[in-house]
Amino acid sequence: MSPLLLEIVHHTGFDYAEPVTLSYNEARMTPVSDACQLVRRSRLHISPSVAQGRYLDYFGTDVTTFEVTEPHVRLSVEAISLVERRTPELSSGSVSHALDTRLGDRFLEYLTPTPRSTIHQDVVDAAAAGQSLGDVHHLAENLAEFVRHNVRYVPGATSVQSTATEAWERRAGVCQDMTHLMVAILRELGVPARYVSGYLYPSTTIEPGEAIAGESHAWVEYWCGAWAGIDPTNGLRETERHVVVARGRDYDDVPPIKGIYDGSGSTQLGVRVEMTARSL
Amino acid sequence: MSDRGMLSRLAESLYWIGRYVERADDTARIIDSYVHRLVEAPTSGQDEIVRSLFSILGVESTASGALTAADALAVLAYDAANPSAIAGALVGAYENARRSRDIISSEMWVALNATRLRLPEVQATSLQLGPSTYLQFVRERAALFLGLADSTMSRDDAWRFLMLGRSVERMDMTARLLRSRVAGVSGDQDWMAFLRASGAMEAYMRSSSGLTDGSGIAAFLLIDRLFPRSILFMVHEAEQWLKELQSTQLRTAPSDPIRQHLVQAATVLEFVQSDDVLFRLHELLDLVEETCIAVNDRITERFFNRILAVSWTTEGGL
Amino acid sequence: MTVAFELDASGAWNEMFEAPGVPRALYRPVVEQLSMATMRELHQRRDLLARTFSDRGVTFAFSGEERPFPLDLLPRVISALEWDLVARGISQRVRALEAFLADVYGDGQIFNDGLIPRSVVLSSPNFIRAAKGIVPENGARVTVSGVDLIRDELGAFRVLEDNVRIPSGVSYVIENRRAMTQHASSLFSEYSVHPVDEYPSRLLAALRSAAPQVTEPVVVVLTPGVHNAAYFEHVLLARMMGAELVEGSDLICRSNKVFMRTTHGERQVHSIYRRVDDEWLDPLHFRFDSMVGVPGLVNAARAGNVAIANALGNGVADDKLVYTYVPSFISYYLGEQPLLENVETYRLEDAEIRGEVLGALDRYVVKPVDGSGGKGIVIGHLASEEELAATAAAIAADPRKWIAQRPVALSTMPTLTESTIGARHIDLRPFAINDGESVWVLPGGLTRVALAEGELVVNSSKGGGSKDTWVVDDRRRGIPQGQQRSEEPVPVLVPKASGALRQSDPVLRAEDDQ
Repeated sequence: MSPLLLEIVHHTGFDYAEPVTLSYNEARMTPVSDACQLVRRSRLHISPSVAQGRYLDYFGTDVTTFEVTEPHVRLSVEAISLVERRTPELSSGSVSHALDTRLGDRFLEYLTPTPRSTIHQDVVDAAAAGQSLGDVHHLAENLAEFVRHNVRYVPGATSVQSTATEAWERRAGVCQDMTHLMVAILRELGVPARYVSGYLYPSTTIEPGEAIAGESHAWVEYWCGAWAGIDPTNGLRETERHVVVARGRDYDDVPPIKGIYDGSGSTQLGVRVEMTARSL
Repeated sequence: MSDRGMLSRLAESLYWIGRYVERADDTARIIDSYVHRLVEAPTSGQDEIVRSLFSILGVESTASGALTAADALAVLAYDAANPSAIAGALVGAYENARRSRDIISSEMWVALNATRLRLPEVQATSLQLGPSTYLQFVRERAALFLGLADSTMSRDDAWRFLMLGRSVERMDMTARLLRSRVAGVSGDQDWMAFLRASGAMEAYMRSSSGLTDGSGIAAFLLIDRLFPRSILFMVHEAEQWLKELQSTQLRTAPSDPIRQHLVQAATVLEFVQSDDVLFRLHELLDLVEETCIAVNDRITERFFNRILAVSWTTEGGL
Repeated sequence: MTVAFELDASGAWNEMFEAPGVPRALYRPVVEQLSMATMRELHQRRDLLARTFSDRGVTFAFSGEERPFPLDLLPRVISALEWDLVARGISQRVRALEAFLADVYGDGQIFNDGLIPRSVVLSSPNFIRAAKGIVPENGARVTVSGVDLIRDELGAFRVLEDNVRIPSGVSYVIENRRAMTQHASSLFSEYSVHPVDEYPSRLLAALRSAAPQVTEPVVVVLTPGVHNAAYFEHVLLARMMGAELVEGSDLICRSNKVFMRTTHGERQVHSIYRRVDDEWLDPLHFRFDSMVGVPGLVNAARAGNVAIANALGNGVADDKLVYTYVPSFISYYLGEQPLLENVETYRLEDAEIRGEVLGALDRYVVKPVDGSGGKGIVIGHLASEEELAATAAAIAADPRKWIAQRPVALSTMPTLTESTIGARHIDLRPFAINDGESVWVLPGGLTRVALAEGELVVNSSKGGGSKDTWVVDDRRRGIPQGQQRSEEPVPVLVPKASGALRQSDPVLRAEDDQ
């Protein structure tokens, strides 16, 4: 398939009950360039208008930093990117990595449970029941199915702070939770897995030039000799409609925007993503 | 760092040490002179005196019944939690000194620390021997502190902020005192107590050749050019400190707004006739009060501009 | 009562005596001086020292209270020749740790070469991912280090632990020397003692060399404030370096630069000697509830606009488990043999070793990998049955969190007690400064003494004291000299009488004339 050119406009921000004088922030809203993805351009528009700094963090994510030092009641951030996406190829993955200790050392960080991605052994046993751990691709597909089958997609059932365990107990959650859950199970089974944050062009039919409501999305990558992506929420492998922004151990390594501000006024968040397929 | 500015936090601490020590001193002075009247007055008559003391010092009374001397002392002297009370002001000075220990001399630090430590013991003694013991102690310690400051501090910005604080507070206190005289001036006795309270007794007597007249006294405290406790004198002093503080800056605005407040107040005061003082007292004291508040706020904004103990809240999410 | 020296009956090395009644050559002058005094005189001098310390506010916060950190009258004396070996050993150790830190926060080559499992480093709570990408201007991450040493039964110095985060205590070294020269000057006669007052200027130079390239780098000391246990040290060092002592709220970051709020506006800061822990340093990256940190500081350091000394994330090198690998770092990174040995230490992850240790727990000293200040150390032969059982359970639950050592009898030194001069256990914390070019070691350092008889944990937070530590030139015939110090003739000042009378007022003079 020829590459897909996607324009993404991601609005996010905060409304404060009372004026905030000082806030320090980091945005992880810039897509990465790698084998399947080429970022043609990417820019952040911030209001109030402030200077921006940039760096690559420990996980290789393109981070934009900024501070606002004048009183304001609204902080709004808009990331506009133009990305060329290719369909990821699947490498042969019939090697069992479950017990390889050298791999265990190399991918330590992606094999260690985190507070968000911890799950009880019973769930792991249930998920892996009757499966051969030999073919990691089949394993991943089955686990994605397991998660999708057992956890209903219910926006609002969980919060941004929720963990895999909480989502499992509720049997409901959003993509963040499904991803945490699948990552947790994979790790317990000895397969290195990581959390991916990015965007998904939701429609399988591409409408060039038409801006459609996209999603700020999360999915899983697991190691099979290379990193392979799978989307448990939608029951899909990673496609050219997925745009990668950041990878980490769990959500806490890749929040689209995080920061601190002085004040206690409550914040309300409005998130909007628009995606437009463009002709190459 | 005198020619490059000093840490705002330290400048602010020194300014407030100046204000608090002056406050403790002047408050002690005021209460001391009214103690006689309190002691002489029957218990039933104490309420009026105490209430007027409260209003001089800008303290609200929440008590419902008749107020007594004991109430006055409890609220205006011994309350360590209220920065408008003597004890509270001294604690405030101590706390600020603690944070700026490396900028004040160790002798100054020891003086404030020892004062704070001895207060409870002196308070206990004064319950037996009378409040003058406590008030006298406070005034002596304040004098000691300022004497040490005078002899151990370099005349740099740190010194200027200390003195600036003292000027602003003294202006404020003297204005309060004068305001208390507007209502119900009755006779020489009252004026004598008043002069003692403002520390102006001997100085005024020498300048007026022994005549005590309300108008002359008010004028002395408001516009005398030589007496260090007069408001006009303090206005000139404050202006001088500010001028020196700003002259060390690289870029000075030609007409600096903080000094403008003081210059304007000085101009008005300089042109007041002695005879008119009593007549215009309200209006003039309003001006002084406004000037004190404006100057304090502008100084804080310009030099201290520190974001107080920020408590951060996290934000993060999709 | 004349002075008597009690010796320790255990096999521990005695610093001062080679046999009962026979002082080591180096100590002979001190012992002679002390023997001429009475116990009462010694106690008087000790009290004088203590008073000097309180007056100057040299204290340490112990259980929330400010207490003086007692200075013992009897100095520890080390020959310059012996010190030379110690200094070279410390310099070597610091250089190895520097290379290790640069590696683990960089390419991680040591992991790829299989010398140390990633789990030891990456799972440590002290591994700070935000430190990746922060490269110090002068290459020094460990500007200040305190490599704690002990002397074993054979008199050899061994490394007890590395401290490369925020090692403290140098203010005691400086104050101890000051107090001793003032109040115990007779003890110094016949010795040529290396001075310790070069420390602040060396530290300042290192902080300046760490700063981004500007003509006049502004250096500050960042303190958590008056309530911090080591506040006195922050004040002392700031004063001696002529650097501003700031708190978090005095600084503000703008566009990845750090500024100090002054009465003349904001002034850029280039190098920060920070006495605030990593966790509290930057509420944007770490604990958001920190009131002592500066948001944006880490990003400013990464952008190269400010130097943070010591660097972020040094805690992985401080770790007691990593300690066991340090000798291999010395050969891996430096291609050298360690000049100073570790105390023999066992990792408990290995089932066989763990089994052996758990089987005879009362014969080991076990330490939590993350403990500091002597917290959590269990000395097997002193612990109760319950303590041993609880410790065994903790080890079994998380073996990675513990290391075991055979008890080393720390060397002892005569120390003044209430009734006598008794042998007490000591250790040594030398301080070293790395300016990127070389590692300079302060001559002497802090000898900490456990004041309770038999007590093996000398840390100040457990109520210990200290001794002035002298590195001396050996002047005896035939014995090679250590590093020579140049000596200037001391000018003698003789007061001259001018003959003029003091002034007094006319009234008094008139009375005099009558």
